[in-house]
Amino acid sequence: MPAVNPEAPTLRRLTNEQFRNTVDDLFGTGIVVPGELDPDERFDGLLALGAARTAYSPRGIENIESSAYLIAEQALAPDRRDAIVPCTPTGTVDSDCSARFVTEFGRRAWRRPLTNDEVTRISTVADSAAGTLGDFHDGLEFAVAALLQAPDFLFRVELGEVDPDGTFGHRYTGWEMASRLSFLLWNTTPDDELLDAAERGDLTTEDGLLAQTERLMASPRATDGLTAFFNDWMRFSELDDLYKEPLVFPHMSDTLGASAVEESERLFKLVAFDAGGDLRDLLTSRQTFVDRELAALYDVPAPVRDGFAAMQHPEDSLRRGLLGHASFLASNAHPVSTSATLRGKFIREVFLCAELPGPPSGVDTSIPPVTEQARTLRERVQQHLTDPSCASCHRNMDLVGLAFENFDGIARYRTTEEGVTIDSSGELDGVAFDDAAGLADALREHEDLGPCIAMTLARYANGYREHLGQLEALGWLGEEFALQGYALEPLVLELTASPLFRATNPVDTDPLEVE
Amino acid sequence: MARSLDRRTVLKGLLGGAAISIGLPPLEAMLDASGTAYADGGALPRRFVTFFWGNGMIPERWTPSAFGAGDEWELSEQLLPLASIKHRIAVITGTEVRVPNRIPHFSGMGGLLCGLDPIGEEGNWTVAGPTIDQILAQEIGGETRFRSLEVGSRPGDGVSFNGPNSRNPFEASPRAFFNRIFGEGFTAPGEEPILDPKIGLRRSVLDAVMEQTAQLESRVGTADQQRLDQHLSGIRDLELRLQRMEDDPPNLASCERPDEPPTDDTWGNNIIERGRVMHDLVAMALACDQTRVLTYAHTMPVDNYVYPGIPDGHHRLTHDEPEPQEGVHGVTLQIMEEFAHFVQALDAIPEGDGTMLDNLVVLGTSEVSEARTHSLEEIPIVLAGSACGFLKQDIHYRSSTRENASKVMLSLMRAMGTNPAAFGEGDAMSTDSLGDIEA
Repeated sequence: MPAVNPEAPTLRRLTNEQFRNTVDDLFGTGIVVPGELDPDERFDGLLALGAARTAYSPRGIENIESSAYLIAEQALAPDRRDAIVPCTPTGTVDSDCSARFVTEFGRRAWRRPLTNDEVTRISTVADSAAGTLGDFHDGLEFAVAALLQAPDFLFRVELGEVDPDGTFGHRYTGWEMASRLSFLLWNTTPDDELLDAAERGDLTTEDGLLAQTERLMASPRATDGLTAFFNDWMRFSELDDLYKEPLVFPHMSDTLGASAVEESERLFKLVAFDAGGDLRDLLTSRQTFVDRELAALYDVPAPVRDGFAAMQHPEDSLRRGLLGHASFLASNAHPVSTSATLRGKFIREVFLCAELPGPPSGVDTSIPPVTEQARTLRERVQQHLTDPSCASCHRNMDLVGLAFENFDGIARYRTTEEGVTIDSSGELDGVAFDDAAGLADALREHEDLGPCIAMTLARYANGYREHLGQLEALGWLGEEFALQGYALEPLVLELTASPLFRATNPVDTDPLEVE
Repeated sequence: MARSLDRRTVLKGLLGGAAISIGLPPLEAMLDASGTAYADGGALPRRFVTFFWGNGMIPERWTPSAFGAGDEWELSEQLLPLASIKHRIAVITGTEVRVPNRIPHFSGMGGLLCGLDPIGEEGNWTVAGPTIDQILAQEIGGETRFRSLEVGSRPGDGVSFNGPNSRNPFEASPRAFFNRIFGEGFTAPGEEPILDPKIGLRRSVLDAVMEQTAQLESRVGTADQQRLDQHLSGIRDLELRLQRMEDDPPNLASCERPDEPPTDDTWGNNIIERGRVMHDLVAMALACDQTRVLTYAHTMPVDNYVYPGIPDGHHRLTHDEPEPQEGVHGVTLQIMEEFAHFVQALDAIPEGDGTMLDNLVVLGTSEVSEARTHSLEEIPIVLAGSACGFLKQDIHYRSSTRENASKVMLSLMRAMGTNPAAFGEGDAMSTDSLGDIEA
């Protein structure tokens, strides 16, 4: 594969989901994690990229502190403490036992071994608390709280080292590779086996890295872990507060957004894992999953039981793949109507990695009202498509988005708008289509789709957007992805084994200046 | 409300307050006869409050036709909901935000509140420096339990920034806000301070975390150093807050622990009702001197809430509704009603000779004027309150020369007792305040 000139390392905040998953893994499930960290922020389309840019706010730090104590209290309750405390204290204050605890638990919490100074710094706090409060385990709560509040826990610290083997100039250390793999594939902290592999030095060798990647991929945890990637890629957090005007859309409910996300995630799991197949099927599959709410929205038979059931849309249905899901159709629309622009923009950016400039300031953007001459949205947006200052971008978006006019602002199927039969034909970069199903086929075969998926996964894995020095390597990754039938697992294996994932630069290096 | 003088109060009174200034909170029992100041001559707290709403207004229907003071001017069509508070407000029209208008909605927010052109690239814009509330928080926020507070009426990300990529997310849940301010760690007037050995231990944990953070900071890149600096400053604020739990509680006359508000599902999607509960909580948080810098976001830039009786989401309407945009106008009226309610909640708190509104200023503003074109001319600014007599009330100031909106920001900085040489940088910089609105 081509050489890579990597980006210098950056700290990454744990996302809210990673924080919760990590607490579960450190202490066992059932711990109540109160409150929230700061909200995750989206940059360049991904929360994973926002995590590499943002700091914790004072309010976030306050929430972390109170959460840390509530978590610590539960973790050291008599029925749980044996899982994490490796020794029985000889008295209220037992410095050896507290230091042992900090050494062993700290390695899991910080995803690396602690230095002696660090162990002392934290176990001293625990000993002093134990003395003040008169209880050894009450003291340890303060050690846990300190470990959870440290930046070494709250941020992913992956700073790299000079590569002693000379394969890369600078590479991520074995411990850092453990975190990188685990957060990418399982969306959580490394398990003990992965940390042990890091300690043995396995993760800086090709074979050792591959063995662990395959182990993680073979686990059912990779399904949920990589669904987090899918969720981020599809911008599903936007559905957290989906709002549709109930007078216009009686199918709107507080739970619709969550149902819509689950439908799409189930399809992803089916395509990417159960079928192990071609990710492009996400766009064209007639197979999907609905609960009663979605069944009513889509006008298909409802499942017999509560929850989701598999179903298949008929061959003549325009509802195909993700682009027929409410997760796409309803979130890329307005509270009372559709939006060809929002839908088209989503397709361009998310599936084709197109860069669309923002709208200019100081222009009149109003869409003309419904008149006798122009009743459908297609007729009304003509101005965007003919005025040269609008058309250069809007043609790219609107002509794609209009393909979905058969689905209203909440994703219900319709054949007319204002009494006029909807025309959903169009063309995608030279390929003509008749309707949404035709667009799905055209998008599936688009030459930018595969490279875009590979590039998005690399961005997600690295927490940064590629620069010029990586385009060649990313191009290679996209080709490998195509050669292997657009399946997720080989893409993950190629990416993680490559310098795109393993190499870095010293901090503050500008990669464009080291050629 | 029975209240006794505790040991420290007596001590402070005996010594006239001069010799032992140990940072005790103000005590209502020590106010002078008129109640305007403490026995030792200290002033009541002065606060800076922002009331932000998204998507601007319609300049032709917003701007009052006459300018001047008192009877010389009348409210415009869009400002009519402010009738009950006309005598407490200053309407400033005709100013402009002088940053390049490159990024719809964002340029205006950063340009107005920071006086700086946003930085970044397509899709990743951020502010180039702190917003005015955080500049002030560094100056006047150090004496209260919270350096600043950020609140809103519906979930969103916030308009208060510590600097680039460092936003202060706001609290949109009344219950969560109540718990944060009036839950653990709050002591009402007359109550004993919280003495708990765990507080000292928590502080020693924070010390250890700060050492750990400093150690990490020495190994990371420049951008990460700034992020960790931010982290450290948050930890220091928290440590100070823990330390203050052991102090006497704030003791302003009108401070009392409010009732716990209902859970969020009570209001569903109704941000009007939820917001009004928040207004009252905000008023009490200020009355109890929990902070002196508070940012309230009624809505965020680009907000698309569907207001009662309005046919579509707010942002959508600003762009797609044909002239004369009756829907947008209807939304603006509703927002002004909420602004009036917010100001009235602050005005309902007796303080000194008058009300809390005498001792603060509310900056009511938005990130654009006419959202349809994202215009930064005629940026809407309504001030409420006099900030201890520093600012005029019941005036409409109309700039006939398109003055820099940063002049207003500089007036506000000065109204808060700070005296910076300038607000903003580049074209947005102003070294002059707007003398016409200053008393």
